[in-house]
Amino acid sequence: MNRNALCKPWEHRLSRRRWFGTAGAALGGVALGGAALSGVAAELNAKSKQVLFVWLDGGMSQLESWDPKPNTEFGGPFRAISTSVPGIHLSELLGKTAKQMHQLAVVRSVCTQDDAHSSGVDRIQRGDPKNRGVVYPYFGSAITKLLGPNGSGLPPYVWVKPLSGGFVHKDGGFLGPQYGALAFGDGKPPENLVRHASVSEEAMLERSQLRTLADKRYAKRHRPGTTEANSFVFDMGLELMKRQEMFDETKFSERDRQRYGTHDLGRHMLLARRMLEAGVRFVKVNSYGWDSHGDNFNGSLSLVRKFDQPFAAIIEDLAESGMLENVLVIAMSEFGRTPRINGHLGRDHWPEAWSIVMAGCGVKRGIVVGSTNDNGTFVNSQPYDIGHLFHTWFNALGIDSQATEYVNSGQPLPIAHEDCHPIREVLA
Amino acid sequence: MPIETPMPRQTRYSNTLRYIVLAFSLLSTLSCQNGLMAETAESLPQKIDSLISAAAGDFKPARTCSDEAFVRRVYLDLAGRIPSYNETKQFLASTAPNKRAELIEQLLGSPEFPVRLRDVLHVLLMERRGDNAEWTKFLQVACESNRPWDELVRDILDPNPEDELRRGAAFFHTRRLEKVGQQETDYPGLTRDIGRLFLGMDLQCAQCHDHLFIQSYKQIDFQGLFVVYKNSYIRTDVPFPAIGEKLMTKKGEFSSVFEKVSLTTGPRVPGRPEVEIPIFEKDQEYLVPPNKKVNFAGTPRFRGTQAIASQLPVGDNQAFRDNIANRLWFLMMGRGLIHPLDLAHADNPPSHPELLKLLGEYLVASKFDMKAMLHNLALTETYQRSSEFADGSSLAPPEKYLIGHEKRMSAEQIMNSIVTATGPRERTNEATLAPVKQQDESKKESDQEEPAKPPADKLRAAFVKAFGNVPQDPEVEFSPSLRSSLFVLNDELLQDFLVPRPGNLVDRLMKISDSSEVADELYLSVLTRRPTEEERGDVADYLAKKSECRQTAVSNLTWALVASTEFCLNH
Repeated sequence: MNRNALCKPWEHRLSRRRWFGTAGAALGGVALGGAALSGVAAELNAKSKQVLFVWLDGGMSQLESWDPKPNTEFGGPFRAISTSVPGIHLSELLGKTAKQMHQLAVVRSVCTQDDAHSSGVDRIQRGDPKNRGVVYPYFGSAITKLLGPNGSGLPPYVWVKPLSGGFVHKDGGFLGPQYGALAFGDGKPPENLVRHASVSEEAMLERSQLRTLADKRYAKRHRPGTTEANSFVFDMGLELMKRQEMFDETKFSERDRQRYGTHDLGRHMLLARRMLEAGVRFVKVNSYGWDSHGDNFNGSLSLVRKFDQPFAAIIEDLAESGMLENVLVIAMSEFGRTPRINGHLGRDHWPEAWSIVMAGCGVKRGIVVGSTNDNGTFVNSQPYDIGHLFHTWFNALGIDSQATEYVNSGQPLPIAHEDCHPIREVLA
Repeated sequence: MPIETPMPRQTRYSNTLRYIVLAFSLLSTLSCQNGLMAETAESLPQKIDSLISAAAGDFKPARTCSDEAFVRRVYLDLAGRIPSYNETKQFLASTAPNKRAELIEQLLGSPEFPVRLRDVLHVLLMERRGDNAEWTKFLQVACESNRPWDELVRDILDPNPEDELRRGAAFFHTRRLEKVGQQETDYPGLTRDIGRLFLGMDLQCAQCHDHLFIQSYKQIDFQGLFVVYKNSYIRTDVPFPAIGEKLMTKKGEFSSVFEKVSLTTGPRVPGRPEVEIPIFEKDQEYLVPPNKKVNFAGTPRFRGTQAIASQLPVGDNQAFRDNIANRLWFLMMGRGLIHPLDLAHADNPPSHPELLKLLGEYLVASKFDMKAMLHNLALTETYQRSSEFADGSSLAPPEKYLIGHEKRMSAEQIMNSIVTATGPRERTNEATLAPVKQQDESKKESDQEEPAKPPADKLRAAFVKAFGNVPQDPEVEFSPSLRSSLFVLNDELLQDFLVPRPGNLVDRLMKISDSSEVADELYLSVLTRRPTEEERGDVADYLAKKSECRQTAVSNLTWALVASTEFCLNH
C-alpha cells in the first residue's frame, strides 16, 4: 500500500507521534507489554505484514549463487549469467531466479562473526546481539512478538522442514516458549489435528460452545488472564483444524507442482505459499545439506538448482498476486563458503564475505548492495553484520528498530544490536 | 503426647536443648507415621497466619474457601488428583467440626501422598528431561519412607553406587551430562541447576563475571561449584546411572571477562569457605584405583562432589533451608515468598522475611521433614483462602496471599484428575498408584495386564507430552499450549474417557432422566461442586435440544467441563 511512501519509520518518529497522539502509545503498550513503540502508521498496517524466511542450513556458497566470480582464482567452474536487471549477474545455477532479479535485493557485503554451525545457526537467527546473559529470540519469534496477532487465528510462527516436526520452543528465547515455532515435519501437520472419528463436526462445535460458556462463568469470579490463555490455545487448535486442506498435497495444481519441483524443498515452498495465503505471520522453510566441504561443485549443481526452482516460483507468484507488497522474503544461511577451494574440491565455512537475498515488503527491487574484492575473499564496501540485517528487516516491516525495545522482567533490551543500523540503501 | 514447638530463634543450643530437639524430632517422625501429626504441629499454622495478616496492610483477605473448593484443592495438593464423586459427597456431608484437619491427615497418610510427592520432586529436579527407572525407584522409596530433604540432596550431590535403593539419584547428573548433538557437555548448565534447585540462586550470569545486577551473586560462587562439576563424567562401566570424577590436583582458574585478572578457587559452596584440595603421594591418590580392563577410571581419594555434598545440604546453610522452605510454600500457596523461586538475593527479598525465617527454622528443627511442613501449611487459613474475589473489592497484590492463587496443575495431576472425574463414583486406585515400571520388569507385568486398557505408563507419557513443559523449562506458571489443546480436542486417549462403560460418568449420566440430577452428577464428578442455577439451566437446555442423542449430549457436556479452565487449574 505505502511501499513508495516518502516517510520511513526512523525519519518521522516525532511527527507521527504527534499526529496520532495517544493512540500510538496505547497500541504500543498492547503489543509490547509497555515497551516504547513508534511508527504508528506502520503499526496500524502491521496486521498485513508477513515474512517468508528460507534457511539454507550448512552454508550456501555465495560464489555459486549471488556473487559469482567467474574466471578468477577461486571462481570455480560455473559462469555468470545476465538477469532481468541489466548489469546484474548471478551464477548460472540460478537460471530461474535470474529472471526474477527485478524483484530482488541482493546484499553482497555480509560479514559475520561465527564460523561454526552449532553456534552460528543460533547466533545468526537470534540476530547476534550484545551478550547480556539472556537468550534472544529467533527472528520468527521476534516478529511474532513485535507485530502481535494478525487476526488470522493461525499459529503465528511456523517452520516447514524435512524430517521431524513438533513444537520448537527454544526459538522463543527470553520471550518464552509460547513464542516458539510450530514445526511441520516434512510438511505434515502437528499431532492430533484431525477430528476424532467418534466426534461429529456438529459435536465439536457444541463442545466448544459449552466450554466457552463454562470459561466465561469461571472468568467472572477469578483473576483475569487464565481463561484467556486457555481459550487462546483452543481457538488456535480449532482454526488450524479448519485449515487442514493446507496440508493436503493433492489440492496443489499439477502446474504448480511442476513449477515448484516435486522434491522436498519444492513441496515445502508450495506449502509455505499456502500458509502465507492463509494468513500465517511468519513461515520459515528449511533446506538441509549445504555444508559442502567436499565436492562443492557437484553439490552446488544439484543444491542451488533445487533452491532456484521453487524460490523463483514463489517470488513470481507472490509478485503476481500482489502479496509481495506485504510479504518480506529472505533467503540465507549461517555463513558463506570459503573462496579458497580445499583439497577435496570443497569450500569451507566463511563468515567474512558472503551474500544474502531479500525481496518484497519494504525492500527496494532489482538492486545489489555492497561488493567483495576481485577474488571474493573479503568485503570491499561497507560490511554488514547480521545486526544490520535485523535492523533492516525490522524497518522493512515498519518496526523502528532503534526506538523499539523488549522489556524482559524489567530489563529493557534492544531488539537488534545497538552498534548496528538499518541498511538504508536496501529499504524502499 | 509430645508437643513440638518450632525451633527457638538462637542458632546455638545448650546440650540439653539440643537433645530435646533431637528427641522431639524423632518422636515427630514416629507420630507422623501414626497419623498423629496435627496436634504436634499446632502452633506453626497460627504463626504463619499472623505473619500474613500483619503484612496485609489495607487489603482485606478473601473469605475462607467453601468445603467444595477445599476438598478439591487439598486432594490435588496431597493426593495429586481431584476427589471422586463419593469422596466429595462424603466430605460435604460430614458435620465433624474438625473435618478439614482430619482430611488433611487422612490424605497425608494415604499411599497416594508419596506418589504425589515423588511426582512433584521429579518435575522439580528433572524439569522434564526424561525418566529413568532407577531414579524413580530412588524417589519412590525416599517419599514412601518420608526421608528428609537434606538427606535426599546429599544422595543426589554424592550418589552412592553401592546402595541399590539410592544409586538412581545419579540420574540428576548423568542426564545433564549427556551430550546433545554437536554441543559440548553442558557443565555450566549442571552447575547452574545445583545453584537454582538447591540454593534458590540462578548463578548463570555469574559464570563469566560478577553478576551485573545482583550484588550478591559473585563469579566465585559459580566457579566454586563449576570446578567440581566440570570434573565429573558419566560412568560407562555400570548399567545404572553413575558418575565418576577425575583427579583434582589443583584449583580451577578463571577470570572476569571485564577485569581479566586470573583467579583460582577450589570446591566451594556459595557463601562458605573454600575446601582445601589435599595433596596425596603419587600412589595414594585413588581410593579405588583405575581398572582399564573394565573401563573403570577409578575413585579419587579426594572428591569435590563429596566436599559439596557435605557442606551444601546442611541446616545452617541459610540459602539451602530458605530454598526448600520457599519451594514447599510455593507448592501449597502457588507463589514463592521469594519470587521467582531461583532468584534469592538481597535486592529481591522475600515478601515476608520473618515468615521465611520461621519456615526455615522449622525445617531445621524437624530435620527437613517435608511431609510435616506440608501438613502445617495445609492447616493454615492462608492455604484455605478462596481464590474467588468479591466484586468491587480492590484486588490484593499476589504477594499478599490474601486471595488463593490459581495453581498450575502438572500433567500427572491432570491425568489422575481426568481418570477420577470420568470414572466410577467410587474411585479405584489403580491408575494413580501403578508405579512407573522398572525397565527389566516391564515384560513380566504386561503379561498380567488386561490388554484393552492403555497401560499406565503409556497414558502418563501421553499426558506428560501434552501438558508438560519442554525439557529444562521449569513448570511454574499456567501455560496452556496448542499441543495441549489439540490433545484435549482430538486425542484418542482422551476421547476414550468419554465412552460409556459400566459405572463410569458418561454411563451414569446416560441413565439419569432428570436434567437437574444430570447437572448435579456431572458438576460434582468433574468440577467437585454443585452446579449453580444458571448452570442447571444450561444443562437442561442442551439436553432438551439433543434429546434424540443422549450419549453424544452427555459426552459433550463432560468434555466441555474437562476442557474448561476451571478443571485444569488448582484454584
